[in-house]
Amino acid sequence: MAIDRKKIIEEMSKVKVIGNDQGLIPVFGVYVQQLPGDFWNGFAQRIVNSVPTDLIEDAEGLLVNASHECGYHTGYGIITSDEWKKIVGPMIEKEPEDILEGAFAVFTAWGWAKSEIVEIVPKEKIVVRAYDYYESDIVFYGNNTRPCAYMIQGVCGAFMDIAYGDKPYPDGMNTFKCVQTKGIELGDDYGEFIVTRV
Amino acid sequence: MVIEKRTEFELDYKFDPVRSRHYLNGVCTVLHCHHYATLYTQLADVATDFKGKELLNNAAEDTFYEVLNSYFMQYQIEKPEEKVTIAEQYWQTVGMGLIRFTGIGKYAATAEMDYSHLDEGWLKKWGSRDRPVNFITAGFVAAVAALVNNKPTQSFYVLETKGLVCGDDVSAFKAVLK
Repeated sequence: MAIDRKKIIEEMSKVKVIGNDQGLIPVFGVYVQQLPGDFWNGFAQRIVNSVPTDLIEDAEGLLVNASHECGYHTGYGIITSDEWKKIVGPMIEKEPEDILEGAFAVFTAWGWAKSEIVEIVPKEKIVVRAYDYYESDIVFYGNNTRPCAYMIQGVCGAFMDIAYGDKPYPDGMNTFKCVQTKGIELGDDYGEFIVTRV
Repeated sequence: MVIEKRTEFELDYKFDPVRSRHYLNGVCTVLHCHHYATLYTQLADVATDFKGKELLNNAAEDTFYEVLNSYFMQYQIEKPEEKVTIAEQYWQTVGMGLIRFTGIGKYAATAEMDYSHLDEGWLKKWGSRDRPVNFITAGFVAAVAALVNNKPTQSFYVLETKGLVCGDDVSAFKAVLK
């Protein structure tokens, strides 16, 4: 059985995460929260717009790094979870490529970005497209001047680290980096993300 | 004996399969982990030249003011105690921890957290430290203090006076009218 994206999205989007008696959500080896996308965008844009021009890339890099770490640890938690083993596990024929495809289906199911891998060069590169993502919501009219899908950039790199990192989890982070080449916020039809070795 | 009915937070949770987005009471939400939240917090903390803490605080206050205000209008919630109860339940529902407002007046408000996503996350990731880390919750407290007083955002300044991450028994907040 090959990876059935539709089924993964259908099943994994049903996973409801609500705070327990302590108001915490401990799942997949991490604590998660479910906040409005506007909040994350709100801080990211405020910080990027606050720094001088020569520091914008550095600020963006820190935002991407936050997502990279999040994606690395949560991503690993997801692909070792009972839910994953039950829903995605039986579909996996070829590792780690099928795991990567499955991970992007989960990425989609959880509302991070409606995304899929459109090109894969094992151990070296992936190209991901995102057709809808909350980070592009910062523009209501016209285009943004810079790509701003920091979260997707970080997670794309993190997923490749998990799949093909120089060292296995938890020591393989930052083997890969991601560059956003297109963006809905830039006026493109979709966001495009190219992940290659550092 | 009259038992007062507790106001319950209504949870309307939807997934839009076309856009692949989650909505909590009509608001697009996204799941993120403690690594993400604490790294954003750390970024805000070190960006002192650019008032990072204030930026994170303001982003939180603006967002949660709008979220709660929409909810209060939709369900016609006007009494201070009802607003407070809903706000506490909202924070618990979204996984940010257990917050308890201990007093809200015209000029000041206080709140405490026995459990906190940011404190737990920070402790798990980096261990303890000598300064509090709940810049996001401080923004939330400012939003609730303003809403209960029917005032706009930026009406209250919030200080976190105790922190679970510092070894205190609770994380505590004091909001003061600007």
